[in-house]
Amino acid sequence: MTAAAATIAAPVAEVGFNEPVLAQILIAVIVFAVMLQLVPMLLIAERKLLGRFQGRYGPNRVGPFGALQPLVDIVKLAAKEDFAPRTASKAVFVIAPVIALFTAIATTAIIPFGDTRSDGLFGADYGLYGIDVSIGILYAFAFGAIAFYGLMLGGWASGSKYSFLGAMRSAAQLISYELAAGLSLIGVVMMSGSLSLTAIVREQSDMWFVVPQFAGFLIFTIASFAETNRAPFDLVEADAELVAGYQTEYGGMRFASFMMAEYMNMITFSGIATAMFLGGWHGPGPGWLDPFWVLAKMIGFLILFIWVRATLPRLRYDQLMSFGWKVLVPLATLNLVVTAILVVAL
Amino acid sequence: MVQLLFFMAAIGAIGGALAVVLLRNPFFSVLALVVHLMALSVLFLLLHAEFLAAAQLIVYAGAVMVLYVFVVSYVGGADELLAEAGVARKLAPVFGVVLLFAFSLAIGGSALKALDTRGADLPAGFGSPAQIGELLLTRFLLPFEIASFLLTIAAVGAVLLARRRRGLEEVDDVSGDGGVV
Repeated sequence: MTAAAATIAAPVAEVGFNEPVLAQILIAVIVFAVMLQLVPMLLIAERKLLGRFQGRYGPNRVGPFGALQPLVDIVKLAAKEDFAPRTASKAVFVIAPVIALFTAIATTAIIPFGDTRSDGLFGADYGLYGIDVSIGILYAFAFGAIAFYGLMLGGWASGSKYSFLGAMRSAAQLISYELAAGLSLIGVVMMSGSLSLTAIVREQSDMWFVVPQFAGFLIFTIASFAETNRAPFDLVEADAELVAGYQTEYGGMRFASFMMAEYMNMITFSGIATAMFLGGWHGPGPGWLDPFWVLAKMIGFLILFIWVRATLPRLRYDQLMSFGWKVLVPLATLNLVVTAILVVAL
Repeated sequence: MVQLLFFMAAIGAIGGALAVVLLRNPFFSVLALVVHLMALSVLFLLLHAEFLAAAQLIVYAGAVMVLYVFVVSYVGGADELLAEAGVARKLAPVFGVVLLFAFSLAIGGSALKALDTRGADLPAGFGSPAQIGELLLTRFLLPFEIASFLLTIAAVGAVLLARRRRGLEEVDDVSGDGGVV
Protein backbone atom coordinates (compact mmCIF):
# COMPACT_ATOMS: atom_id res chain seq x y z
CA MET A 1 0.00 0.00 0.00
CA THR A 2 1.38 3.40 -0.91
CA ALA A 3 1.73 6.21 1.59
CA ALA A 4 -1.12 8.18 0.04
CA ALA A 5 -3.49 5.25 0.26
CA ALA A 6 -2.41 4.68 3.84
CA THR A 7 -3.39 8.18 4.88
CA ILE A 8 -6.77 7.89 3.20
CA ALA A 9 -7.41 4.52 4.77
CA ALA A 10 -6.32 5.57 8.24
CA PRO A 11 -9.39 5.47 10.42
CA VAL A 12 -10.62 8.68 11.96
CA ALA A 13 -11.86 6.82 15.00
CA GLU A 14 -11.05 3.58 16.77
CA VAL A 15 -12.32 0.64 14.72
CA GLY A 16 -11.92 -3.10 15.12
CA PHE A 17 -9.52 -3.21 12.19
CA ASN A 18 -9.04 -1.46 8.92
CA GLU A 19 -9.76 -2.95 5.51
CA PRO A 20 -8.19 -1.83 2.23
CA VAL A 21 -9.94 1.16 0.64
CA LEU A 22 -11.34 -0.95 -2.19
CA ALA A 23 -12.92 -3.39 0.24
CA GLN A 24 -14.36 -0.55 2.30
CA ILE A 25 -15.99 1.05 -0.73
CA LEU A 26 -17.28 -2.25 -2.10
CA ILE A 27 -18.76 -3.35 1.23
CA ALA A 28 -20.31 0.07 1.77
CA VAL A 29 -21.94 -0.02 -1.67
CA ILE A 30 -23.25 -3.55 -1.15
CA VAL A 31 -24.66 -2.83 2.32
CA PHE A 32 -26.21 0.41 1.05
CA ALA A 33 -27.73 -1.27 -2.02
CA VAL A 34 -29.19 -4.17 -0.07
CA MET A 35 -30.61 -1.92 2.65
CA LEU A 36 -32.10 0.45 0.10
CA GLN A 37 -33.70 -2.40 -1.83
CA LEU A 38 -35.38 -3.58 1.35
CA VAL A 39 -37.46 -0.38 1.47
CA PRO A 40 -39.66 -0.95 -1.64
CA MET A 41 -39.87 -4.64 -0.78
CA LEU A 42 -41.08 -3.71 2.67
CA LEU A 43 -43.59 -1.25 1.18
CA ILE A 44 -45.21 -3.85 -1.04
CA ALA A 45 -45.00 -6.55 1.64
CA GLU A 46 -46.74 -4.25 4.11
CA ARG A 47 -49.56 -3.40 1.71
CA LYS A 48 -50.06 -6.99 0.62
CA LEU A 49 -49.95 -8.33 4.17
CA LEU A 50 -52.24 -5.59 5.49
CA GLY A 51 -54.65 -6.51 2.73
CA ARG A 52 -54.57 -10.17 3.70
CA PHE A 53 -54.94 -9.37 7.40
CA GLN A 54 -58.03 -7.35 6.54
CA GLY A 55 -59.55 -9.96 4.21
CA ARG A 56 -58.80 -8.18 0.92
CA TYR A 57 -56.22 -8.56 -1.83
CA GLY A 58 -54.05 -5.49 -1.46
CA PRO A 59 -52.42 -3.96 -4.56
CA ASN A 60 -52.55 -6.47 -7.44
CA ARG A 61 -52.72 -4.44 -10.66
CA VAL A 62 -49.15 -3.32 -11.44
CA GLY A 63 -46.81 -6.13 -12.39
CA PRO A 64 -47.09 -9.73 -11.21
CA PHE A 65 -49.13 -9.82 -7.94
CA GLY A 66 -48.82 -6.03 -7.79
CA ALA A 67 -45.09 -6.35 -7.09
CA LEU A 68 -44.22 -3.23 -9.08
CA GLN A 69 -46.57 -1.02 -7.09
CA PRO A 70 -43.81 0.67 -4.98
CA LEU A 71 -41.85 1.49 -8.14
CA VAL A 72 -44.90 3.18 -9.66
CA ASP A 73 -45.57 5.02 -6.39
CA ILE A 74 -42.02 6.34 -6.23
CA VAL A 75 -42.07 7.46 -9.87
CA LYS A 76 -45.34 9.28 -9.19
CA LEU A 77 -43.89 11.02 -6.13
CA ALA A 78 -40.68 11.93 -7.96
CA ALA A 79 -42.66 13.52 -10.77
CA LYS A 80 -44.62 15.76 -8.39
CA GLU A 81 -43.93 19.43 -7.80
CA ASP A 82 -41.69 20.31 -4.83
CA PHE A 83 -44.30 22.32 -3.06
CA ALA A 84 -43.77 24.42 0.08
CA PRO A 85 -46.60 26.27 1.82
CA ARG A 86 -46.47 30.07 1.99
CA THR A 87 -46.15 30.03 5.79
CA ALA A 88 -43.22 27.62 5.68
CA SER A 89 -39.70 28.50 6.73
CA LYS A 90 -38.16 27.49 3.39
CA ALA A 91 -34.57 26.49 4.17
CA VAL A 92 -35.53 24.44 7.23
CA PHE A 93 -38.47 22.96 5.33
CA VAL A 94 -36.12 21.66 2.65
CA ILE A 95 -33.40 20.39 4.97
CA ALA A 96 -35.67 18.47 7.38
CA PRO A 97 -36.32 15.42 5.16
CA VAL A 98 -32.60 15.34 4.30
CA ILE A 99 -31.71 15.06 8.00
CA ALA A 100 -34.31 12.33 8.52
CA LEU A 101 -33.09 10.27 5.58
CA PHE A 102 -29.38 10.81 6.24
CA THR A 103 -29.54 9.67 9.85
CA ALA A 104 -31.71 6.68 8.95
CA ILE A 105 -29.26 5.47 6.32
CA ALA A 106 -26.14 6.25 8.35
CA THR A 107 -27.33 4.04 11.20
CA THR A 108 -27.54 0.99 8.95
CA ALA A 109 -23.73 0.95 8.75
CA ILE A 110 -23.31 -0.84 12.08
CA ILE A 111 -25.60 -3.79 11.38
CA PRO A 112 -23.31 -6.82 11.14
CA PHE A 113 -24.13 -9.25 8.31
CA GLY A 114 -21.31 -11.65 9.07
CA ASP A 115 -18.10 -12.16 10.99
CA THR A 116 -14.72 -10.97 9.74
CA ARG A 117 -13.44 -13.15 6.90
CA SER A 118 -9.84 -13.98 6.08
CA ASP A 119 -10.28 -15.92 2.83
CA GLY A 120 -8.02 -13.47 1.04
CA LEU A 121 -10.71 -11.99 -1.22
CA PHE A 122 -9.31 -8.49 -0.82
CA GLY A 123 -5.84 -9.57 0.20
CA ALA A 124 -6.67 -8.82 3.81
CA ASP A 125 -9.24 -9.54 6.48
CA TYR A 126 -12.60 -7.95 5.90
CA GLY A 127 -15.87 -7.83 7.77
CA LEU A 128 -19.37 -8.13 6.37
CA TYR A 129 -20.62 -4.86 7.85
CA GLY A 130 -20.26 -1.14 7.25
CA ILE A 131 -18.18 -0.32 10.32
CA ASP A 132 -17.39 -1.93 13.63
CA VAL A 133 -16.93 0.97 16.04
CA SER A 134 -15.85 0.55 19.62
CA ILE A 135 -18.85 2.53 20.83
CA GLY A 136 -21.09 0.14 18.87
CA ILE A 137 -24.70 0.61 19.77
CA LEU A 138 -24.12 4.16 21.02
CA TYR A 139 -23.46 5.07 17.38
CA ALA A 140 -27.05 4.14 16.58
CA PHE A 141 -28.35 6.20 19.48
CA ALA A 142 -26.20 9.18 18.51
CA PHE A 143 -27.76 9.21 15.04
CA GLY A 144 -31.15 8.53 16.59
CA ALA A 145 -30.63 11.75 18.55
CA ILE A 146 -30.07 13.70 15.35
CA ALA A 147 -32.96 11.96 13.57
CA PHE A 148 -35.32 13.69 15.97
CA TYR A 149 -34.45 17.04 14.37
CA GLY A 150 -35.67 15.77 10.99
CA LEU A 151 -39.18 15.27 12.34
CA MET A 152 -39.13 18.29 14.62
CA LEU A 153 -37.85 20.75 12.02
CA GLY A 154 -40.20 19.32 9.41
CA GLY A 155 -43.16 19.95 11.68
CA TRP A 156 -42.01 23.36 12.85
CA ALA A 157 -40.99 24.69 9.44
CA SER A 158 -44.27 23.72 7.80
CA GLY A 159 -46.02 26.65 9.48
CA SER A 160 -49.13 24.58 10.11
CA LYS A 161 -50.66 23.73 13.46
CA TYR A 162 -51.24 20.07 12.56
CA SER A 163 -47.63 19.65 11.54
CA PHE A 164 -46.49 21.45 14.67
CA LEU A 165 -48.64 19.35 16.99
CA GLY A 166 -47.42 16.19 15.26
CA ALA A 167 -43.82 17.28 15.67
CA MET A 168 -44.40 18.08 19.35
CA ARG A 169 -45.86 14.65 19.91
CA SER A 170 -42.91 13.07 18.15
CA ALA A 171 -40.52 15.04 20.37
CA ALA A 172 -42.06 13.81 23.59
CA GLN A 173 -42.53 10.28 22.28
CA LEU A 174 -38.98 9.88 20.99
CA ILE A 175 -37.37 11.07 24.24
CA SER A 176 -39.61 8.86 26.33
CA TYR A 177 -39.05 5.66 24.40
CA GLU A 178 -35.40 6.15 23.54
CA LEU A 179 -34.71 5.86 27.26
CA ALA A 180 -36.56 2.55 27.50
CA ALA A 181 -34.90 1.22 24.33
CA GLY A 182 -31.45 2.17 25.61
CA LEU A 183 -32.00 0.69 29.04
CA SER A 184 -33.30 -2.57 27.55
CA LEU A 185 -30.14 -2.94 25.48
CA ILE A 186 -27.76 -2.39 28.41
CA GLY A 187 -28.69 -5.83 29.74
CA VAL A 188 -27.29 -7.39 26.57
CA VAL A 189 -24.22 -5.16 26.73
CA MET A 190 -23.55 -6.27 30.31
CA MET A 191 -23.92 -9.96 29.43
CA SER A 192 -21.60 -9.75 26.45
CA GLY A 193 -19.17 -7.27 28.00
CA SER A 194 -18.91 -5.23 24.82
CA LEU A 195 -20.70 -2.43 23.02
CA SER A 196 -19.59 -3.60 19.58
CA LEU A 197 -22.40 -5.32 17.70
CA THR A 198 -20.07 -7.85 16.08
CA ALA A 199 -18.63 -8.83 19.47
CA ILE A 200 -22.16 -9.14 20.84
CA VAL A 201 -23.16 -11.46 17.98
CA ARG A 202 -20.01 -13.56 18.52
CA GLU A 203 -21.04 -14.00 22.16
CA GLN A 204 -24.33 -15.54 21.03
CA SER A 205 -22.85 -18.61 19.34
CA ASP A 206 -24.17 -20.88 22.12
CA MET A 207 -27.38 -19.14 23.05
CA TRP A 208 -29.20 -16.16 21.57
CA PHE A 209 -29.59 -13.32 24.04
CA VAL A 210 -33.35 -13.39 23.50
CA VAL A 211 -33.48 -16.34 25.94
CA PRO A 212 -31.74 -14.83 29.01
CA GLN A 213 -32.81 -11.28 28.08
CA PHE A 214 -36.41 -12.01 27.13
CA ALA A 215 -37.76 -9.08 29.15
CA GLY A 216 -35.20 -6.80 27.51
CA PHE A 217 -36.23 -8.10 24.09
CA LEU A 218 -39.91 -7.39 24.75
CA ILE A 219 -39.15 -3.87 26.03
CA PHE A 220 -36.89 -3.17 23.07
CA THR A 221 -39.54 -4.43 20.63
CA ILE A 222 -42.24 -2.21 22.13
CA ALA A 223 -39.90 0.76 22.30
CA SER A 224 -38.83 0.25 18.69
CA PHE A 225 -42.48 0.41 17.59
CA ALA A 226 -42.67 3.77 19.33
CA GLU A 227 -39.30 4.97 18.07
CA THR A 228 -40.25 4.30 14.46
CA ASN A 229 -43.69 5.89 14.90
CA ARG A 230 -45.44 2.68 13.99
CA ALA A 231 -48.87 1.53 15.13
CA PRO A 232 -49.97 1.28 17.89
CA PHE A 233 -47.74 4.26 18.71
CA ASP A 234 -48.25 6.23 15.49
CA LEU A 235 -49.75 9.24 17.26
CA VAL A 236 -47.16 11.37 15.58
CA GLU A 237 -49.07 10.96 12.35
CA ALA A 238 -52.49 10.02 13.68
CA ASP A 239 -54.51 10.47 10.50
CA ALA A 240 -57.81 11.13 12.20
CA GLU A 241 -56.69 13.99 14.46
CA LEU A 242 -53.51 15.39 12.95
CA VAL A 243 -54.02 14.65 9.23
CA ALA A 244 -50.49 13.25 8.92
CA GLY A 245 -48.54 14.91 11.70
CA TYR A 246 -45.21 16.51 10.89
CA GLN A 247 -45.40 15.49 7.22
CA THR A 248 -48.82 17.02 6.51
CA GLU A 249 -47.46 19.83 4.34
CA TYR A 250 -44.92 17.70 2.53
CA GLY A 251 -45.44 16.33 -0.95
CA GLY A 252 -43.47 14.74 -3.74
CA MET A 253 -39.98 13.46 -3.03
CA ARG A 254 -39.74 15.30 0.29
CA PHE A 255 -42.69 13.32 1.55
CA ALA A 256 -41.13 10.21 0.02
CA SER A 257 -37.90 10.95 1.91
CA PHE A 258 -39.76 11.03 5.21
CA MET A 259 -41.53 7.79 4.38
CA MET A 260 -38.28 6.19 3.30
CA ALA A 261 -36.57 7.36 6.49
CA GLU A 262 -39.36 5.78 8.51
CA TYR A 263 -38.99 2.47 6.69
CA MET A 264 -35.19 2.64 6.93
CA ASN A 265 -35.58 3.14 10.68
CA MET A 266 -37.75 0.04 10.86
CA ILE A 267 -35.08 -1.89 8.97
CA THR A 268 -32.34 -0.53 11.24
CA PHE A 269 -34.23 -1.41 14.38
CA SER A 270 -34.90 -4.92 13.12
CA GLY A 271 -31.18 -5.19 12.28
CA ILE A 272 -30.23 -4.08 15.80
CA ALA A 273 -32.76 -6.48 17.31
CA THR A 274 -31.31 -9.27 15.15
CA ALA A 275 -27.76 -8.52 16.25
CA MET A 276 -28.50 -7.86 19.92
CA PHE A 277 -31.11 -10.52 20.66
CA LEU A 278 -31.66 -12.94 17.77
CA GLY A 279 -28.13 -14.25 17.31
CA GLY A 280 -27.18 -12.13 14.29
CA TRP A 281 -25.53 -14.28 11.63
CA HIS A 282 -25.64 -17.50 13.69
CA GLY A 283 -27.71 -20.22 12.09
CA PRO A 284 -27.33 -23.71 10.66
CA GLY A 285 -25.65 -24.15 7.29
CA PRO A 286 -22.32 -23.19 5.73
CA GLY A 287 -20.59 -19.89 6.40
CA TRP A 288 -21.72 -18.13 3.23
CA LEU A 289 -25.30 -18.33 4.49
CA ASP A 290 -24.51 -15.89 7.33
CA PRO A 291 -25.72 -12.68 5.62
CA PHE A 292 -28.88 -14.47 4.53
CA TRP A 293 -29.60 -15.54 8.10
CA VAL A 294 -29.32 -11.92 9.18
CA LEU A 295 -31.66 -10.84 6.37
CA ALA A 296 -34.14 -13.63 7.18
CA LYS A 297 -34.24 -12.66 10.86
CA MET A 298 -34.62 -8.99 9.95
CA ILE A 299 -37.51 -9.75 7.60
CA GLY A 300 -39.14 -11.82 10.34
CA PHE A 301 -38.90 -8.87 12.70
CA LEU A 302 -40.25 -6.53 10.00
CA ILE A 303 -43.27 -8.80 9.48
CA LEU A 304 -43.88 -8.49 13.23
CA PHE A 305 -43.99 -4.71 12.73
CA ILE A 306 -46.64 -5.11 10.01
CA TRP A 307 -48.58 -7.72 11.97
CA VAL A 308 -48.78 -5.48 15.02
CA ARG A 309 -49.93 -2.58 12.85
CA ALA A 310 -52.74 -4.68 11.44
CA THR A 311 -53.77 -6.00 14.85
CA LEU A 312 -53.59 -3.32 17.53
CA PRO A 313 -55.60 -0.09 17.76
CA ARG A 314 -53.80 3.19 18.35
CA LEU A 315 -53.16 4.31 21.94
CA ARG A 316 -54.37 7.60 23.31
CA TYR A 317 -51.60 10.14 23.83
CA ASP A 318 -51.65 10.21 27.65
CA GLN A 319 -51.75 6.40 27.66
CA LEU A 320 -48.69 6.38 25.46
CA MET A 321 -46.81 8.68 27.83
CA SER A 322 -47.80 6.93 31.03
CA PHE A 323 -47.05 3.54 29.46
CA GLY A 324 -43.59 4.69 28.46
CA TRP A 325 -42.63 6.32 31.74
CA LYS A 326 -44.57 4.29 34.30
CA VAL A 327 -44.32 0.81 32.80
CA LEU A 328 -41.50 0.48 30.27
CA VAL A 329 -38.79 2.54 31.99
CA PRO A 330 -39.25 0.93 35.45
CA LEU A 331 -39.39 -2.54 33.84
CA ALA A 332 -36.24 -1.84 31.85
CA THR A 333 -34.50 -0.57 35.00
CA LEU A 334 -35.58 -3.67 36.92
CA ASN A 335 -34.29 -5.86 34.09
CA LEU A 336 -31.02 -3.93 34.23
CA VAL A 337 -30.62 -4.39 38.00
CA VAL A 338 -31.45 -8.11 37.88
CA THR A 339 -29.05 -8.64 34.97
CA ALA A 340 -26.29 -6.74 36.79
CA ILE A 341 -26.71 -8.87 39.92
CA LEU A 342 -26.76 -12.10 37.91
CA VAL A 343 -23.74 -11.12 35.80
CA VAL A 344 -21.71 -10.35 38.93
CA ALA A 345 -22.97 -13.37 40.87
CA LEU A 346 -22.55 -16.02 38.14
CA MET B 1 -8.99 13.79 5.45
CA VAL B 2 -8.40 14.48 9.14
CA GLN B 3 -7.39 18.08 8.40
CA LEU B 4 -10.44 18.58 6.20
CA LEU B 5 -12.74 17.22 8.88
CA PHE B 6 -11.02 19.34 11.51
CA PHE B 7 -11.49 22.58 9.63
CA MET B 8 -15.09 21.76 8.72
CA ALA B 9 -15.85 20.96 12.35
CA ALA B 10 -13.94 23.98 13.64
CA ILE B 11 -15.78 26.34 11.31
CA GLY B 12 -19.06 24.68 12.25
CA ALA B 13 -18.33 25.05 15.94
CA ILE B 14 -17.31 28.70 15.79
CA GLY B 15 -19.98 29.62 13.27
CA GLY B 16 -22.63 27.85 15.29
CA ALA B 17 -21.54 29.56 18.49
CA LEU B 18 -21.58 32.97 16.79
CA ALA B 19 -24.98 32.29 15.27
CA VAL B 20 -26.41 31.45 18.70
CA VAL B 21 -25.59 34.97 19.86
CA LEU B 22 -26.26 36.88 16.66
CA LEU B 23 -29.50 35.38 15.36
CA ARG B 24 -32.67 37.24 16.38
CA ASN B 25 -35.07 34.31 16.12
CA PRO B 26 -34.69 32.18 19.28
CA PHE B 27 -35.64 29.00 17.41
CA PHE B 28 -32.77 29.46 14.97
CA SER B 29 -30.47 30.29 17.89
CA VAL B 30 -31.28 26.93 19.43
CA LEU B 31 -30.68 25.20 16.09
CA ALA B 32 -27.33 26.98 15.79
CA LEU B 33 -26.45 25.65 19.23
CA VAL B 34 -27.30 22.14 18.00
CA VAL B 35 -24.98 22.64 15.02
CA HIS B 36 -22.28 23.86 17.39
CA LEU B 37 -22.65 20.79 19.62
CA MET B 38 -22.51 18.43 16.64
CA ALA B 39 -19.35 20.12 15.38
CA LEU B 40 -17.85 19.71 18.87
CA SER B 41 -18.63 16.00 18.77
CA VAL B 42 -16.78 15.72 15.45
CA LEU B 43 -13.80 17.41 17.14
CA PHE B 44 -14.00 14.86 19.97
CA LEU B 45 -14.02 12.12 17.34
CA LEU B 46 -10.85 13.54 15.81
CA LEU B 47 -9.25 13.46 19.28
CA HIS B 48 -9.93 9.69 19.47
CA ALA B 49 -12.65 10.17 22.06
CA GLU B 50 -15.46 8.21 20.40
CA PHE B 51 -17.38 7.63 23.56
CA LEU B 52 -17.31 11.31 24.39
CA ALA B 53 -18.45 12.16 20.85
CA ALA B 54 -21.40 9.79 21.06
CA ALA B 55 -22.25 10.93 24.58
CA GLN B 56 -22.12 14.54 23.41
CA LEU B 57 -24.62 13.79 20.65
CA ILE B 58 -26.92 11.63 22.77
CA VAL B 59 -26.96 13.80 25.88
CA TYR B 60 -26.72 17.32 24.45
CA ALA B 61 -28.15 17.13 20.94
CA GLY B 62 -30.51 14.29 21.79
CA ALA B 63 -31.83 15.22 25.21
CA VAL B 64 -30.93 18.71 26.44
CA MET B 65 -31.40 20.52 23.15
CA VAL B 66 -34.59 18.62 22.42
CA LEU B 67 -36.08 20.22 25.53
CA TYR B 68 -34.80 23.63 24.41
CA VAL B 69 -36.39 23.16 20.99
CA PHE B 70 -39.55 21.99 22.68
CA VAL B 71 -39.80 25.04 24.93
CA VAL B 72 -38.70 27.63 22.37
CA SER B 73 -41.07 26.45 19.68
CA TYR B 74 -43.95 26.50 22.17
CA VAL B 75 -43.41 29.83 23.87
CA GLY B 76 -40.65 31.71 22.05
CA GLY B 77 -42.06 33.96 19.38
CA ALA B 78 -39.64 35.66 16.99
CA ASP B 79 -41.48 38.97 17.39
CA GLU B 80 -41.09 39.10 21.16
CA LEU B 81 -39.18 42.13 22.35
CA LEU B 82 -35.98 41.63 24.25
CA ALA B 83 -36.11 42.44 27.95
CA GLU B 84 -35.53 46.02 29.05
CA ALA B 85 -31.89 46.89 29.55
CA GLY B 86 -31.24 46.09 33.21
CA VAL B 87 -28.13 45.83 35.32
CA ALA B 88 -27.31 42.42 33.89
CA ARG B 89 -27.52 43.79 30.37
CA LYS B 90 -25.06 46.56 31.22
CA LEU B 91 -22.63 44.22 32.96
CA ALA B 92 -22.65 41.65 30.14
CA PRO B 93 -20.02 43.38 27.93
CA VAL B 94 -17.68 43.66 30.93
CA PHE B 95 -17.94 39.95 31.62
CA GLY B 96 -17.49 39.25 27.93
CA VAL B 97 -14.24 41.22 27.76
CA VAL B 98 -12.93 39.58 30.96
CA LEU B 99 -13.75 36.11 29.59
CA LEU B 100 -12.07 36.91 26.28
CA PHE B 101 -8.96 38.06 28.16
CA ALA B 102 -8.91 34.91 30.30
CA PHE B 103 -9.31 32.61 27.31
CA SER B 104 -6.65 34.46 25.34
CA LEU B 105 -4.26 33.99 28.26
CA ALA B 106 -5.08 30.32 28.53
CA ILE B 107 -4.72 29.69 24.79
CA GLY B 108 -1.53 31.72 24.53
CA GLY B 109 -0.07 30.06 27.63
CA SER B 110 -0.80 26.40 27.00
CA ALA B 111 -2.65 25.46 23.84
CA LEU B 112 -0.31 27.20 21.39
CA LYS B 113 2.68 25.34 22.84
CA ALA B 114 1.34 22.14 21.31
CA LEU B 115 1.62 23.52 17.79
CA ASP B 116 4.06 21.56 15.60
CA THR B 117 4.16 18.68 18.06
CA ARG B 118 2.57 15.27 17.66
CA GLY B 119 0.46 15.83 20.76
CA ALA B 120 0.23 13.53 23.74
CA ASP B 121 0.82 9.82 23.21
CA LEU B 122 -2.36 7.80 23.12
CA PRO B 123 -2.27 4.58 25.13
CA ALA B 124 -4.08 1.61 23.58
CA GLY B 125 -7.81 1.75 24.17
CA PHE B 126 -7.74 5.47 24.90
CA GLY B 127 -11.20 6.97 25.02
CA SER B 128 -12.91 3.60 24.79
CA PRO B 129 -16.07 3.09 26.86
CA ALA B 130 -14.30 0.45 28.98
CA GLN B 131 -11.49 2.79 29.97
CA ILE B 132 -13.80 5.71 30.70
CA GLY B 133 -16.00 3.45 32.81
CA GLU B 134 -12.99 2.22 34.76
CA LEU B 135 -11.79 5.78 35.40
CA LEU B 136 -15.25 6.88 36.48
CA LEU B 137 -15.54 4.07 39.00
CA THR B 138 -12.00 4.26 40.39
CA ARG B 139 -10.14 7.53 40.09
CA PHE B 140 -13.12 9.84 39.65
CA LEU B 141 -15.56 7.88 41.79
CA LEU B 142 -16.33 10.72 44.21
CA PRO B 143 -17.08 13.42 41.57
CA PHE B 144 -19.08 10.84 39.63
CA GLU B 145 -21.20 9.94 42.64
CA ILE B 146 -21.66 13.57 43.63
CA ALA B 147 -22.80 14.41 40.10
CA SER B 148 -25.29 11.54 40.08
CA PHE B 149 -26.56 12.64 43.50
CA LEU B 150 -26.99 16.19 42.21
CA LEU B 151 -28.92 14.93 39.18
CA THR B 152 -31.19 12.85 41.40
CA ILE B 153 -31.92 15.91 43.54
CA ALA B 154 -32.65 17.92 40.40
CA ALA B 155 -35.02 15.25 39.08
CA VAL B 156 -36.89 15.00 42.38
CA GLY B 157 -37.04 18.78 42.60
CA ALA B 158 -38.44 19.04 39.07
CA VAL B 159 -41.17 16.54 39.89
CA LEU B 160 -42.02 18.42 43.10
CA LEU B 161 -42.18 21.78 41.32
CA ALA B 162 -44.41 20.38 38.59
CA ARG B 163 -46.64 18.65 41.16
CA ARG B 164 -47.25 21.83 43.13
CA ARG B 165 -48.94 23.49 40.18
CA ARG B 166 -52.60 22.68 39.86
CA GLY B 167 -53.75 20.78 36.83
CA LEU B 168 -51.62 17.68 36.86
CA GLU B 169 -54.04 15.79 39.12
CA GLU B 170 -56.90 16.55 36.77
CA VAL B 171 -54.97 15.15 33.84
CA ASP B 172 -54.37 11.97 35.82
CA ASP B 173 -58.09 11.66 36.52
CA VAL B 174 -58.93 11.94 32.84
CA SER B 175 -56.52 9.17 31.96
CA GLY B 176 -58.39 6.86 34.32
CA ASP B 177 -61.82 6.68 32.69
CA GLY B 178 -60.92 7.40 29.09
CA GLY B 179 -63.44 10.22 28.81
CA VAL B 180 -61.40 12.52 26.61
CA VAL B 181 -63.40 14.06 23.81
